Amino acid sequence: MKDKIFGVLQRVGRSFMLPIALLPVAGLLLGIGSSFTNQTMLETYNLTGFIYEGGILYTILDIMNQCGSAVFNNLALLFAMGVAIGMAKKEKEVAALSGAIAYLVMNTAISAMITARGGVEAMAPNSTASTLGITTLQMGVFGGIVVGLGVAALHNKFYKIQLPQVLSFFGGTRFVPIVSTAVFVVVGILMFFLWPIVQTGIAMLGNLVIHSGYVGTWIYGILERALIPFGLHHVFYMPFWQTAVGGTAVIDGVTIQGAQNIFFAELASRATEVFSVSATRFMAGKFPFMIFGLPGAALAMYRAANPEKRKIAGGLLISAALTAMLTGITEPLEFTFLFVAPAMYAVHCVYAGLSYMLMHIFNVGVGMTFSGGIIDLTLFGILQGNAKTHWIWVVLVGLVYFCLYYLTFYFMIVKMDLKTPGREADDEETKLFTRSDFKAKTGVGPDGAASASVSDPVSALILKGLGGKANLSDVDCCATRLRVTVIDPNKVSDALLKQSGASGVIHKGNGVQAVYGPQVAVIKSNLVDFMETPESDHLDNLAAAPAPAPAAAAPSKEAPSKDTILSAPMNGQVIPIAEVQDEVFATCVLGEGIAIEPSEGKLYAPADGVIDNVFDTKHAIGILTEDGVEILLHIGINTVQLNGAHFELHVEKEQQVKKGDLLISFDQDAIRAAGYLCTTPMIVCNTDDYQSITPIAQGGIQAGTPLLEVKG
Amino acid sequence: MKQFSYVITDPVGIHARPAGMLVKAAKALDSTITIEKTGGKSATATKLMAVMGLGIKQGDEVTVTIDGGNEEANLQTMEQFFQDHL
Repeated sequence: MKDKIFGVLQRVGRSFMLPIALLPVAGLLLGIGSSFTNQTMLETYNLTGFIYEGGILYTILDIMNQCGSAVFNNLALLFAMGVAIGMAKKEKEVAALSGAIAYLVMNTAISAMITARGGVEAMAPNSTASTLGITTLQMGVFGGIVVGLGVAALHNKFYKIQLPQVLSFFGGTRFVPIVSTAVFVVVGILMFFLWPIVQTGIAMLGNLVIHSGYVGTWIYGILERALIPFGLHHVFYMPFWQTAVGGTAVIDGVTIQGAQNIFFAELASRATEVFSVSATRFMAGKFPFMIFGLPGAALAMYRAANPEKRKIAGGLLISAALTAMLTGITEPLEFTFLFVAPAMYAVHCVYAGLSYMLMHIFNVGVGMTFSGGIIDLTLFGILQGNAKTHWIWVVLVGLVYFCLYYLTFYFMIVKMDLKTPGREADDEETKLFTRSDFKAKTGVGPDGAASASVSDPVSALILKGLGGKANLSDVDCCATRLRVTVIDPNKVSDALLKQSGASGVIHKGNGVQAVYGPQVAVIKSNLVDFMETPESDHLDNLAAAPAPAPAAAAPSKEAPSKDTILSAPMNGQVIPIAEVQDEVFATCVLGEGIAIEPSEGKLYAPADGVIDNVFDTKHAIGILTEDGVEILLHIGINTVQLNGAHFELHVEKEQQVKKGDLLISFDQDAIRAAGYLCTTPMIVCNTDDYQSITPIAQGGIQAGTPLLEVKG
Repeated sequence: MKQFSYVITDPVGIHARPAGMLVKAAKALDSTITIEKTGGKSATATKLMAVMGLGIKQGDEVTVTIDGGNEEANLQTMEQFFQDHL
């Protein structure tokens, strides 16, 4: 049960990432726009001659300011759609549409209820708000998250629904927005009665948080850091940043809830004289330890590294430290010591908590879009002026923190002999090596690796480490880690995942998180693409024999012999060509080859090449491979007579294809029902150009496995 | 060089199986044999992919050219083949 909750929370947390990723850009617009339209600031920097109300520059900056605000003001809608996308298992675009419509419907229903019950005046003070022009209950991002979760649940249940024939047009994914609309009319009405109770609860909680004072801030800081290893920090801080738990304020006559919302509303407002520390206490604490403290820790690890390994450890640590300083993405650095030295991480949590508390005590009013790097400090601290933000304390405390982290960590590493980067025993050195290898590979890109037998060795390794495609329930990622839900956690191999470049792996029930750093989005996309190819079905074969396959394929490019290996074009049983129930094929009139009795109605390219021939009847295809082999793939015997029925062609003549690309899909049951065999010969038409054509596999086979050896 | 024309009667046209037989028959002869689809492309009759690539269907007219070798005898063999199989 606990594991299940973790799995769900993990998915909710990562579904926040899509809308959250937008915040830095919105913050940039808002930060620059509001800074340079602020009268005090313009006067301070003597800019009133260039930027003045009514001038072009001022208007542009004002537009930036307001457009940035638009994102923060409509965050609930973004969450309704983003969470629906994140939680939907398939056909995510439909979930997004349903999320948007359900959000509008729910708020409109609430609005109508408010009107029917005597209007806004009859409601509790500060309990209503205007969202997208609809007067509704003040729900903040919670409203959006409720919609997102609800719609995703409906979506996952109904997106494949089959309706009776007359209504079949409305079946499947089309049913999802329909049912979402209906359900959220009811949810809206219920919310009108239930939400005020929740509001009271949140208000009480918020009250408690405000009265918790400095100690409360300290605990908040510790918890926020301590949840990072579990990936649950987004779920934790979101209520503080986005709902009344993090405070309520009235700015320019509008009620604003949530620490981050308050900060950005104050930023956009011309009336702000000092930023509310009651809001920024949940944010400002990140700056000292991210910009100063963690780099101090990195220096400590560098100095503590064995001299001969310092250079390699240094490269790793500098890039991680710079990432933390600039963007506030600290996980690459934190994970370098979290796994090898949990005690250091515990100390880090306490220091981080103290940092939050100190910023609170010193009235530092610097907010952030999503983390505490130099970029955010500049925009929302320095540019706003010390009078408004007291940002100077970030630097003062930060300098102390740099020394504190450096000394504490250096002391701990040396005294406790912790195996931080560059201090591993000699046989463990591989960890750093594979990481740099991996980086070289990602530099080449997914297509650059096409000459090897596996088109994407990194993804293959990751997939194998996760226990194969069949073991995955879903795959996603956040800022730095690949987040996967697996069916059997015992099949996951940490060693393989680390070999693929992960700096750490976290298990919690069925949830697995592999930490790759900021490039994880690319890794995830490659992995998902890779899982679409037939190669991903038979990792064992490939991984077991990776060496001979590239050796056979590599010389084919330059060597005159033109030896090459063709892969199986489909899943099924290998049948010797002589046993094919068709004389023309069996007697090799067309050329030598092999046949497969398919178990799945999909034909894939057996090698890289160009489509030489397609037929109107769609049951056969000719490919000229890069190595000059003319291949004929012919699905079924006498199936030309079906005249195209039950076949679907996915490529066209002259099209370049890669090994494993889907060429033709077909309905094998329908073809067999029509009285035809599905046996599919793969023939080398220019057999005369080669010395020998030999099958190298038999029995059951998976598409993509080496099948036919062609020797020149 | 000798030529003859022929209108395809096989309901599926020159597809894999008939094309294979044609290639086999053409290879057995000592002439260079070319098939041209009237108003379309032409192909060497010994190249399976090329022959199939012509996309010849029932009712299409083709011109078969026999060049070099024993043209007279090969023409007869080919004509016979087309009548029997295509």
